[in-house]
Amino acid sequence: MNGTRATAARRRKLVMKGLESAILLLALFLILFPIVWMALTAFKRPVDLFELTLLFTPTLDNFRTIFAAPWNIGAALWNSTVVAGLTVLISIPCSTLAAYAFSRFEMRFKGALFFTILATQFIPAVVVVLPFYLLFRDLGLLDTHLALVIVNLAIVTPFAVWMLKGFLDAVPTESEEAALVDGATRLRVILDIVVPMVWPGVLVTAVFCFILTWNEFLFALILTRDNAVTLPVGITRFRTERGDLWELIAAAGILISIPMFLLSSVIQRHFVRGMTGGAVK
Amino acid sequence: MQDRRLKYVLILPAALLVLGTTIWPLAVSLVTSFRDWRLTRSLTPGPFIGPEHYVTALTDDPDFANALQVTASFVAIDVALTVVCALGLALLLRRAGVLHSLTRAVLILPFAVSPALVGISFRFMFNAEMGVFTWLAGAVVPWLQGYVWLADPVAALLVLVFSDAWRWVPYMTLVVLGGLSALPKEPEEAARIDCASEWQVFRDVTLPALMPVLAVVAILKTVFALKMFDQVVTLTGGGPGQSTVTLAYLVYSIAFRWYDMGYASAVAWILTAMLVFLAVWYMKLILRKPGGA
Amino acid sequence: MADVSLRNLTKAWGGFTAVRDQSLEIRDGEFMVLLGPSGCGKTTTMRMIAGLEEPTAGDILIGGQRVNDLPPRDRDIAMVFQSYGLYPHMTVEDNIGYPLKLRGIKGAERAAQVRAAAAKVELEPLLHRRPKELSGGQRQRVALARAIVRRPTVFLMDEPLSNLDAKLRVSTRAEIKHLQHELGVTTVYVTHDQIEAMTLAHRVAVMQGGEIRQLDTPEVIYDRPADLFVAGFIGSPPMNLVDGDHADGRFTAAGGFHATTGVARHGGRAVLGVRPEDVTVGPAGSGDLDASIYAVELTGDAVLVTVQAGAARIIAKADRAWRAEIGSTVALRLDASRLHLFDAASTKRLQPE
Ligand SMILES: Nc1ncnc2c1ncn2[C@@H]1O[C@H](COP(=O)(O)OP(=O)(O)OP(=O)(O)O)[C@@H](O)[C@H]1O
Ligand SMILES: [Mg+2]
Repeated sequence: MNGTRATAARRRKLVMKGLESAILLLALFLILFPIVWMALTAFKRPVDLFELTLLFTPTLDNFRTIFAAPWNIGAALWNSTVVAGLTVLISIPCSTLAAYAFSRFEMRFKGALFFTILATQFIPAVVVVLPFYLLFRDLGLLDTHLALVIVNLAIVTPFAVWMLKGFLDAVPTESEEAALVDGATRLRVILDIVVPMVWPGVLVTAVFCFILTWNEFLFALILTRDNAVTLPVGITRFRTERGDLWELIAAAGILISIPMFLLSSVIQRHFVRGMTGGAVK
Repeated sequence: MQDRRLKYVLILPAALLVLGTTIWPLAVSLVTSFRDWRLTRSLTPGPFIGPEHYVTALTDDPDFANALQVTASFVAIDVALTVVCALGLALLLRRAGVLHSLTRAVLILPFAVSPALVGISFRFMFNAEMGVFTWLAGAVVPWLQGYVWLADPVAALLVLVFSDAWRWVPYMTLVVLGGLSALPKEPEEAARIDCASEWQVFRDVTLPALMPVLAVVAILKTVFALKMFDQVVTLTGGGPGQSTVTLAYLVYSIAFRWYDMGYASAVAWILTAMLVFLAVWYMKLILRKPGGA
Repeated sequence: MADVSLRNLTKAWGGFTAVRDQSLEIRDGEFMVLLGPSGCGKTTTMRMIAGLEEPTAGDILIGGQRVNDLPPRDRDIAMVFQSYGLYPHMTVEDNIGYPLKLRGIKGAERAAQVRAAAAKVELEPLLHRRPKELSGGQRQRVALARAIVRRPTVFLMDEPLSNLDAKLRVSTRAEIKHLQHELGVTTVYVTHDQIEAMTLAHRVAVMQGGEIRQLDTPEVIYDRPADLFVAGFIGSPPMNLVDGDHADGRFTAAGGFHATTGVARHGGRAVLGVRPEDVTVGPAGSGDLDASIYAVELTGDAVLVTVQAGAARIIAKADRAWRAEIGSTVALRLDASRLHLFDAASTKRLQPE
């Protein structure tokens, strides 16, 4: 009696285990397959594109082609790096100071101010870009790095303040107070004590913002034409009158994705927190 | 203390950035939305016409009605799919195992891929002649052989959802996993000792405790789904016909195809109003003091 | 060196008052201990002296100068924090040298002063470590060295020993006492540990609920507690307190407990206090009153005997060789010269004439 029941339970458990493994394999497949497939495509010759086989002669030609004229993906790579780099360089110091004030001081309208900064995360980029398009057109700034940096700050700064405040809240204040008593001014405290202590958080935030800007598409699509085109817009341009050049798109896709894979795995643990602002531990 | 003024000085740069890069354009858009301004006719703003654009959009514009309906369908399917899949996957991944840790390790990858690239890649993989997903679907379900996914209005929207879910489900799984790991173990163990089945433990103990996290996931995903733009451009181009034109894409079309800045601003503001409404809700949820439920 | 005065100092957050109308004169070179239970406002008082917290009302004077509006760096104080407040990213040497660096002392001179301060607390071999590579006691000494490296006019210490184990606490306590004596710097020291207070202080301020209940030398606080709170808070095991009636110099309680108090001019409800070491147990019939033994506990250096005397339970401290069965009857003798009497209504001490 007991024996049969135990066997039934064991069998059921085995079935559940098998089902679980099957689901996980499917999830793994769904997550990885598109990445793997695009990676493979990047090494295919155009004639192999139609073959749905894993057996083909790999070639590096596609990578050579995208860097050569007329595609010159190197320029887009440079633009993306400059725009993302500058955006982070401007926004992180400003955000760190603001986050510090929000984290450490009581002030009037603090709640309302913080709320406003956070709420701007939810504003759709299209509504922001319309006035900027008109402004930049009048100023002759369309298709420049500067234009992209300015609008990207709109997206990145609230995120950075939100994330950094989370990191700062977690740092005990005792060392800062010790420095105040030891004779430091508040600015000295921030430079000598706070920044070194919260440095990992600053780095994670910077990486996070870099990824956001790097992948940004809408602003770049609307505000650039030739000179300041970034990678996400650049990859949409591999097209001739004969149609899309998939092998080149795939090669450029690798180029745009690899650095982000590396960066995101470095800060994986904090990635979730950045997006949800500490609502989830 | 002596930092009475300093604290405002510290906030100033970031406040100016936010003011200049979002509050200012928002205000300008709002003003523009009450004007008649077509770039094809004039390079300077036209006269104020009152709420005419809003009236047109809400009562007399089939394109707007269509975009609203497309966006609503997209958000509904996308959010439901994301929440359910992320929750299910997170519950599975909570356990130890080789497959489990392997899956956990790759969860972050899709989110690092540029949405524009995701769109293009999915267009390639759902290509009628050489799309690997087209082929796979045909291999699994014979009557789908040679099916042209992106030519069918409903299928195209589903592919759009699929491409977005591909990027977001793994990420949201990480979020839910984070929430699960923060839950105390005792209530679940106590329920098991009280002879509850696994399903009852989930329904009566785990799910209620996880509700705040799931709410965050749902609202956040709703916000991003409402803003859906990148993949519409690179995957479907709004088509076939107008079957995948979302509100954000509609604004883009009005502004940069028809150059009607006034009307585009009005539609953009309708979208903004919906998002701000959600934003307030979301903030209340996460700024709520701990212990408030 | 300087004296510190607090004048009617108050600190409130919203409707909650943490420190209430507190006045305290700390003399030049004095070791002042603020003692009280958790949450009584000790840290708040100290942080106001440091300038880390702004008083809601009242004045703070250091060396006769009003410092309310000075930032911490202009008050010439040094502080040792409860969790030390070390700079985790700096070496021990840089930690100790930071106050000097801020004052523009450079190179060899700074190194020499750091070395001298480190030598005082025996830290020289550890100068190149970082705080996380140190034990609790070593961190504590880094915090001390950082405080003494620049001869401040006032030392503030907030429970500096609370994170140390019992043994280390005793030795560091002696070091602090020695250092303060040697340097002669006015010191305010916060603790909730009465042994620390008794051993270190020139004077102790016993606080409760944001107010100072008694301010005096350790001897007076122990021998003549000003009210019931101080009487119960100081001493371990605590003073025996018995509720009863008092008339004509005689105290009686339910169940036949009685004692002669020597306080003539008081009648009515009262509380009698007697410390365990002032109660002697002997063979039945030999003392002031008989009682039955409730429990016997050996603490190592003494035996604590709890007896049931009428409705009251009294603890007596007996010699460590003393033994008796639970339930047997013994006699209690109370040292009449060391009885404490408190008015039940006002909780104030009634002094024998
Ligand atoms: N920033 C603050 N806001 C509100 N209340 C506070 C704040 N800081 C302290 N308090 C309250 O003031 C009271 C006194 O706090 P304080 O830190 O001075 O106590 P303490 O005597 O040092 O206690 P402990 O021995 O536990 O350190 C406490 O009830 C505390 O909750
Ligand atoms: Mg304290």
